[in-house]
Amino acid sequence: MYRALAVVLLVLAPVDVGAQGILRGTVRSTQGAPIHGAMVGVAGSALYTQTDISGRYRLAAVPAGEVRVRAAAIGYSPQATVVSLTGGDSTTADFTLEASPLELTPLDVVSTKLPRFGDHPVTSVAQVSEQEIDRRAVNTIDEAVDKVPAVQFLNGQINIRGSTGYVQGLNSRVLLLVDGVPMNQGDRGGINWDLVPVDQIERVDILKGAGSSLYGSSALGGVVNLTTRDVPSGVHERVRFTGGIYANPPHPVWEFRDQSGFQGGGDGTWSYGNETVGASISGGARHSDGYREEDTQQHWQVAAKTRWQASPRTRLDLSGAWADDKYDVPLSWCTQGQCLDLGQSYQPFKTDTGGRASWTDSRKAYIAAHARTVVSDRFAWQARGSWYRTDFFDQRRDTSEFGISNRFGGELRAEAHPDSSRTVLVGTEATFSDVTSDVFGNHSQTEFSAYGQSEQSIGRGGARINAGARIDFLAVDGGSLSAVVSPRLGGSVPLGRAGGALRASVGRGFRAPSLAERYVSLVAAEFGLRVVPNPNLQPETAWSFEVGGTTAPFLHFMRADAAFFWTEARQLIEPQLITVSTGSGAAIQLQNVSEARIAGVDATLLAAPVSDRLKTSLSYTYLATERRAPGSSNAPLAYRPAHQLKLAADYALGAAGVGADFRFASRPERIELEGYVDPRRVPMKVLDLRAQWAHGPLELRLLVANALNYIYNLVPQTLAPVRTTTITAVWSH
Amino acid sequence: MLQTPFRLAGLAVIVAGVVTACNQGLQPEPICAPDLVGVCGTIHFRGTIPDSTDNVFVAAYATFPQTCNDLIANRQPVIPGSVPYTDSAAAYSVVLPPRAYEWLVAVWKKVGTLTLTPADTALLRVAGYYRNPADTTQAGVVTVPRGGAAGSIDFVADFDHLRLATDFVACTAR
Repeated sequence: MYRALAVVLLVLAPVDVGAQGILRGTVRSTQGAPIHGAMVGVAGSALYTQTDISGRYRLAAVPAGEVRVRAAAIGYSPQATVVSLTGGDSTTADFTLEASPLELTPLDVVSTKLPRFGDHPVTSVAQVSEQEIDRRAVNTIDEAVDKVPAVQFLNGQINIRGSTGYVQGLNSRVLLLVDGVPMNQGDRGGINWDLVPVDQIERVDILKGAGSSLYGSSALGGVVNLTTRDVPSGVHERVRFTGGIYANPPHPVWEFRDQSGFQGGGDGTWSYGNETVGASISGGARHSDGYREEDTQQHWQVAAKTRWQASPRTRLDLSGAWADDKYDVPLSWCTQGQCLDLGQSYQPFKTDTGGRASWTDSRKAYIAAHARTVVSDRFAWQARGSWYRTDFFDQRRDTSEFGISNRFGGELRAEAHPDSSRTVLVGTEATFSDVTSDVFGNHSQTEFSAYGQSEQSIGRGGARINAGARIDFLAVDGGSLSAVVSPRLGGSVPLGRAGGALRASVGRGFRAPSLAERYVSLVAAEFGLRVVPNPNLQPETAWSFEVGGTTAPFLHFMRADAAFFWTEARQLIEPQLITVSTGSGAAIQLQNVSEARIAGVDATLLAAPVSDRLKTSLSYTYLATERRAPGSSNAPLAYRPAHQLKLAADYALGAAGVGADFRFASRPERIELEGYVDPRRVPMKVLDLRAQWAHGPLELRLLVANALNYIYNLVPQTLAPVRTTTITAVWSH
Repeated sequence: MLQTPFRLAGLAVIVAGVVTACNQGLQPEPICAPDLVGVCGTIHFRGTIPDSTDNVFVAAYATFPQTCNDLIANRQPVIPGSVPYTDSAAAYSVVLPPRAYEWLVAVWKKVGTLTLTPADTALLRVAGYYRNPADTTQAGVVTVPRGGAAGSIDFVADFDHLRLATDFVACTAR
């Protein structure tokens, strides 16, 4: 007891300012180019920061004496150096990082809520770097995340290792964070992937597997964290224009318009900053004719971010974004008799004539504030508050629907580094969500939680063990609280000094039912059936196990990572056809009906045959799923393809480069409500080709998405995008 | 040293090519497509289309329904697709499991929401059905062969003689 108190006093004790110094410097590549977004920190302490656009960093309140400083960036080998600081003085430490295309997770901010510099995480983590986002010339960030091994998007819904399936946007078993702030919708629990302008996103970190021990509800199958660009020092502008064309249907009998469809847009960002303050503002718009009938979309967006270094130890950030999308609702593709079918059983590019003129106006906005204070090199705390609002209006043939929801969140977190081998993180979080809607009613949900995590290095070999737990209390409409406990235990063991490691973890995840799932009440036009509420829905829970390993580079140019994962889920919420006793007839209701097992292998092979020029990757994911529900025989889970294969290659030559991505997913064995929807489905085989060229401040990018114009669908009666050729021009200053 | 990587890259390209070539994705599917497993043919329409028409669909029953509940519960497919009814004739196809079907029926639907209960019969009428060529007063049996389709299953739907479900089965709800 006294020892624990002493440790607390020790870490809280402010350090004599005279015994501190300032550490500053730059992080560059071996070619001398500044590395933007590199993490620099003092090992085993709360002192860390990121480099700006010029590759510069500054760390205040560094204890005088010899300290070990580490730097890490995606695509480079981490580096550490020992620096000697004099109290009250400023010391420079520059880093030159060597490009390492085989580095898997040199920098991880999502697995433990704390930055890790080249340490192997205890669970699988994947990243999408700024360069990868740029190269892929995408319009929304989900198009880039879709290329990550074991990740698949089904009509906008993310699946990490088969986590979510497809539930028409009514929930997500993956949690989205924007700079660490939860951003799943307050009413439906789903994700708006266009909430943050893609040009503002610097990096994406993806945690595979249950993350509820730190992140709570929705982190049942994984977590995606979007890190937005920091405001750099100086005056900077960035302008981006895109223009593209959709391929026409490959068969004349499917043609639906006389001319090709176009898409295009532009956005710009202006920022100013110095060492103390900085602000950026961006805005843009996009239009798309769509690739099928009744598929036009208009998008407008504004985003802003400010930072204020209030003192050498305290930094405040304020950020926000607003986006408005107005789009036609193409509904389902038409089958015989629902449109001008030209003697065809179905017309994948056309929609039901009766559903014409349906559209949605979807607005979303968030504002988030974040403060971090480094009390000493051993202790820091941070607080955040956020407000996320969504507002949609659906106009349908016979009716209209609307929904307005708010999600208010707050978190207080403390991190302590009692010694260089141990890290302790504790925090508390509160979320209040409400909805006002003619289809979801007027309801609210409150969540309170507390969490703790400790990580300990064992021995000198770099092995570490991580343990943590979180308790969440949930209440709906001010009712009684129900509690969910989510523990996690994991460890990693390096295999020698060459860079290989083994990892293992076990954790429990959960997802609270969204307000939409509990209270939805409407007529599903595609089935002609009512969807009725179920206020008694219980949280879904799952235990997830993972054993994995990363090899050291072998044959001088290859590296492999593989994980075996196993999830046992309980109380999964699925749509069920029921007979309503109080009314007449059948209806659809969301119920806790099934238990499920999702097991599989997630393996990646990286190869850089021509160092610095050619980088290739091959990933394969195997899913074996089993759904167990009362009254029905065991079957595979719906919308989970058993096999996924992804190939990527990039070849760089000076200022130019070319690349390709190929994605394959086998035909899903099962879909929901089979017999009520068109069961046609085929495997996914999509090849994307790209090229880029840079000259001074100008970059040009070419993307031919779905270059083979492979016609496929991932969910019933919904055509996936056809070949789209896009040219993007970016001017940065 | 560079040969191995290029071999691997070549292998990856071949794998991608083979996987892509093996399946051409979704393809046009004429109403009586060669790979259809089910029933197809032509419906000839007669009479005046009622103003309250929502759609016309074709449903099949493995055994002739005896009750109103059978009429709803044993219908295949459960949610049938509609058939164009504004011209004098329309091709149709219905995907069905291979087996014999005792009743293949064109159903007229009034505007309204179906509930998959016997109450639906208030919105539905029998517009016509496939008849036994040897005895046209009786319903004809249609057999869907394994891996194929029963083609040329043509029959008449008459809007002037829409018949209640109770003409065929015992119902309590109308």
